[in-house]
Amino acid sequence: MKIDSTQHLEYSTEQNRINILGFWIFLGAEIMLFATLFTSYFVYEDRIGNGPSGAEIFEITPVLIETILLLTSSFTIGLAIHAMRIQRTKAMLGFFAITLVLGAAFLGVEIYEFIHYYHVGATLQTSAFTGILLTTLGTHGAHVMFGLFWGIFIFIQIKKQGLTPQTANKSFIFSLYWHFLDVMWIFIFSFIYLKGMM
Amino acid sequence: MRELFPMKQVNGFIFSLLLTVVALSVYFLEMSFQLGMTILIVTAFVQAGVQLIIFMHAGEGEDKNAIYTTLFYGGFLGLVTVLGSLLAMIWGYL
Repeated sequence: MKIDSTQHLEYSTEQNRINILGFWIFLGAEIMLFATLFTSYFVYEDRIGNGPSGAEIFEITPVLIETILLLTSSFTIGLAIHAMRIQRTKAMLGFFAITLVLGAAFLGVEIYEFIHYYHVGATLQTSAFTGILLTTLGTHGAHVMFGLFWGIFIFIQIKKQGLTPQTANKSFIFSLYWHFLDVMWIFIFSFIYLKGMM
Repeated sequence: MRELFPMKQVNGFIFSLLLTVVALSVYFLEMSFQLGMTILIVTAFVQAGVQLIIFMHAGEGEDKNAIYTTLFYGGFLGLVTVLGSLLAMIWGYL
């Protein structure tokens, strides 16, 4: 394995560079996944049948809390990568942990939100609108849930092995994933919630 | 401590919070649907750009062109899917 020390650790081997490029291509496919969900959402948005409409069930407070939590976690994972690049392992792990805690808090609020929807009679089977709403939100939430476990395992690896070209590469790729989830949330926040409550 | 908080990222974070506040204006202020949608489209895409360039370092490495090509391709296909479906299934029947 050839290590190029002029590069950041996460880019320091050929394999690392290709891993990062490969992950970007995966993110390109993820954009398409979410685009198809948004397509179905916009098409079915007004098909509410006998169920509630978005304006009736959306609540601004939890949505705003979720947005701030995810935006902040996206900032802290960015700081973690910066700390990693200046070889501050402890600070990096600190920011990494904050990111995961914020992610868990986000999921907690989203679970509260889903329980709320269930109580007001907006379930997967209620109408085309509630079905696609919960599918879209659920797909995003499932991504965050997956990211949480992925992040925990990377955190443990760095604790055990320190910053190596491998762990730095994994951390960087994880940060790409996390920022991507934040971008998708911004679109959900804007075009599902705010548009629905406008 | 200071070196852990690079200005670029701190500013990026403040800017993204600001964009969120601007987007929230469509909820708190009275405005037409067209104006509201315009604000949302602008803030959402600018927000995405902030994340990609400042936080994801999209333009940094030697694979910059491949990365941007993939992103534009994904984004373009996404927009065509969304707008094309709306055209064929909703707007055509208004």
